[in-house]
Amino acid sequence: MGQILCATRGGEASIQTQDAAIAKAKETGDELVFLYIYDVEFLALAKYTLRSDVVSEELDKMARFLMVMASERAEKQGVQARYVIRQGKFDTELESAVKEEQAALVILGRPGEEEGRFVLEHLRELAAKLQEETGVPVCILPE
Amino acid sequence: MNQALQLKLPLSARRLTPYLGLVLIMGLWLTVAFRPSETATAAGRGVAGRVIDSQGEPVGDAELRLYVNDESEAVAETYSQPDGAYLLVLREDETVSSVRVEVERPHFETYTWIPGQAELEILLEDGSFVTHDVVLKRRIVASFWIIAAIFLGMLAVIATERLHNTLAALLAMVLIFAISQLGGSINPDLFVFTFEQALEHVDFEVIFLLLGMMIVIGVIEETGIFQWLAYQAYRLSRGKIWLLQIILMSITATASALLDNVTTMLLITPIILELALAAGIKPLSLVLPALLAANVGGLATLIGTPVNIMIGSFVGLSFNDFVLNLTPGVIAALVGLMIFVQLRYWKEYHTTGAGLSPALMKQLEENGRIRDVINLRKAGIVFGVVLVLFVLGEQFHLSPAISAIAGAVAMLLWVSPDIQDMMSVVDWTTLVFFIGLFIVVGAVQEVGLLALSADWIGRVVGENLLAALLAIVWMAALVSGMVDNIPFAAAMLPVVKFLTRTIPGAENHSLYYGLAIGADLGGNSSLIGSSANLVVAGITERAGYKITFRKFLHIGLPATAITTAIGCLWLIIHFM
Repeated sequence: MGQILCATRGGEASIQTQDAAIAKAKETGDELVFLYIYDVEFLALAKYTLRSDVVSEELDKMARFLMVMASERAEKQGVQARYVIRQGKFDTELESAVKEEQAALVILGRPGEEEGRFVLEHLRELAAKLQEETGVPVCILPE
Repeated sequence: MNQALQLKLPLSARRLTPYLGLVLIMGLWLTVAFRPSETATAAGRGVAGRVIDSQGEPVGDAELRLYVNDESEAVAETYSQPDGAYLLVLREDETVSSVRVEVERPHFETYTWIPGQAELEILLEDGSFVTHDVVLKRRIVASFWIIAAIFLGMLAVIATERLHNTLAALLAMVLIFAISQLGGSINPDLFVFTFEQALEHVDFEVIFLLLGMMIVIGVIEETGIFQWLAYQAYRLSRGKIWLLQIILMSITATASALLDNVTTMLLITPIILELALAAGIKPLSLVLPALLAANVGGLATLIGTPVNIMIGSFVGLSFNDFVLNLTPGVIAALVGLMIFVQLRYWKEYHTTGAGLSPALMKQLEENGRIRDVINLRKAGIVFGVVLVLFVLGEQFHLSPAISAIAGAVAMLLWVSPDIQDMMSVVDWTTLVFFIGLFIVVGAVQEVGLLALSADWIGRVVGENLLAALLAIVWMAALVSGMVDNIPFAAAMLPVVKFLTRTIPGAENHSLYYGLAIGADLGGNSSLIGSSANLVVAGITERAGYKITFRKFLHIGLPATAITTAIGCLWLIIHFM
C-alpha cells in the first residue's frame, strides 16, 4: 500500500481536487496525505517591512484549519487522511515532500477558471518535471 | 516544517542595522535642530523686514546686502531666517547719502530696492529702522525642468513598481544632490539647495511618530489580540452572519484608527477566513468588507495613517483636532459602508451554514486565543497612557511624536520583549523612504514647481472654497487609487497651504482634512490602492480564494464613491 500525496489549499477548486484524491484513495486503498505549501513572498508587495515570523505563524494556523477540514472531508467519505504543512517555494517543497513521504502518486489540483490557462500550462510543466525528477507519477485532477 | 524566511545578512550585521538606522536618524535630526541661527541686535540703524514670494510665503536663506553711497562693497550682509525675517544693520559712524539693498536667492530674480527720501531720512537717524518687505519673483531656470523630471520619474517608477519605493526615493534624492552640488558649481542655475537646507525639509516629527508607533504595534501584534477579537465577534454574533460582519468591520476600523491597517489585516484575515468557512459562506464576503472598513477607519485619527501624520505635523493639527473634525465624518462613512456591504452580500449574510465539527471548533478557538495575557495587559496599559498623552498633550505642548516614543520606550522597559527583536520590528525602510521623499519634495518646492501648481489650481478654483474642497478630495481619491498616496500627499501639502491662505474661509483647515479624506479613502478603489489590499490578497490566495483586480474593483469602487461622498458631505456640513 503506497501513499497518495495531494497538494491542496482551500477554495472551490481545491475541494474538487480533494474529492478526486479521496476517490482515488478509496479506489486504490492507498493512504492519503494532504500537502499544504505556503510562502510569505507576497509581503514584498506591501512596500513596508512586515514581520514574516508573525505572518508565518498565522498562515500556519490557517493551513491547519484548512487541512483539518480536508481530513474531515475524507473521513466522511470513508478514507483516513493526514496532512503535512510546509513553508517555502512551492516547487522545491513539493519535491522534498514527495521524497520524504515516499509518495506513490502525486495529485495536483486543476486551477480554477479565474487562474487562467497560463497557470494550467505552468502546472503541467511542473508535473512533468516532478515526475522526471522523482520517478513518481503525477496527475492533475479533476480531469 | 521549514523555518521562517531568514535575512541573508550575517548575524552581527543584522543586530547592528537597527541601531545604525537609529543613529542615522538622530544625527540628521540634530544637524537640523541645532543649526546656529543668527541673532540680531536692535541697536543702531538699518533696514528690517520679511522676504516673501509672490504667494506670500516666507523665503528663507535669501542673501541680502546693503550698499551705501553707490559703493561697490556691501556694508552689511545677512540671510533671511526661515520665517523670512531679516535685519541689515548700519554702523553708527557710517556716513550715508544713498542706500541700496540687493536680495539674491537661487530660483528667484534678483531684487533691488532703493529707499525713497522719507525712508532715507529715517535711516540717517540713530536707533531707527526702516521696514521693507521684499517680494521675490520666481525665476524658471534649468534646475526647474530637471528636478520636475526627476520628481515625476520617481512617481512613475513607484507607480509601475520598477523599483522599491525607498530605492526610488533615495535615487531621486541622490540625483538631486548631484545636480545641485556638482552641477551647481559649474552653472548656478543648477543649484537647488545645500545638504543642510535639504535636511530642513525633513519632518522629523513624522519620522519619530512613525518610529514610536511601529514599536508599540510590534509589541501588541505578538499578543494575539486581533485574532482574539475576531473570534469573540464570532461568539457574540451567535450565528447571525450579518451581525458578525458589522462587528468585524467595527474591529478592523477601530484597530486601524489606533494602530495600523496593514498589521491589523495581516493578522486578522486568516481567522476571518476560518470564521467564514465556519459560517458556511464564501470567505471573501467577510474579508473584503473588513478590509474596506480598515482603510476607512485609518482616516479617523492623527495616527491612523502616514498621510494623516504628515498632514498633522505640517499644519500643526493635534490628535484632538482630528477627533473633532474628522472622526464623526469617518464614523458616518463607515455606517454608509456597512449598509452598502449588507445590501451587496445580503444573500450570503442570510444563509445558514452547516456548522463546524468539534475538531474544527477547537482549532478555531486555538487560533483565536490570546498568546500572552500578561504582556497584553501591560501593553494595553501603556497604549492607554499613550492615547491619553495624545489627547492631553496639546495642553502641555507635548508633541505626538514624543508621546509615541515615550510609549515605545515604556513598552520596551516594562513589557520587556527582546530589545533586538523589537528594534528589528521597526520598518527602517519606510522611515528612510520618508526622509528621501521629504528631501525630494523639498527640492520640488525650492525650484518653484509646487508654487506654479498652486497658482494654477488657485486660478481654476478662484476663491470658491467649496470648489477647492471638492477638487482636492476627488483628485486625491482618484490618484490614490492608482499610485502611492504618500508621495502625492507630500507634494500636495504646500499646494493646499497656498490655497488655505488665499481662499476666504479656508483657514479652518478644511482643505487639509479634504486631502486626508481623498488620499486615504482613495486606497479602497482598487487592489493596488493600498498595501493592506495587496497583503490581504496574498493571504486569501494562499487559502485558495483569489482576489482579482476586477473582483476588487466591483466592490472597491462603489465603496470608495460612497465613503468619499459621505466624508465630503461631513466636511461641508461641519465647516461651511
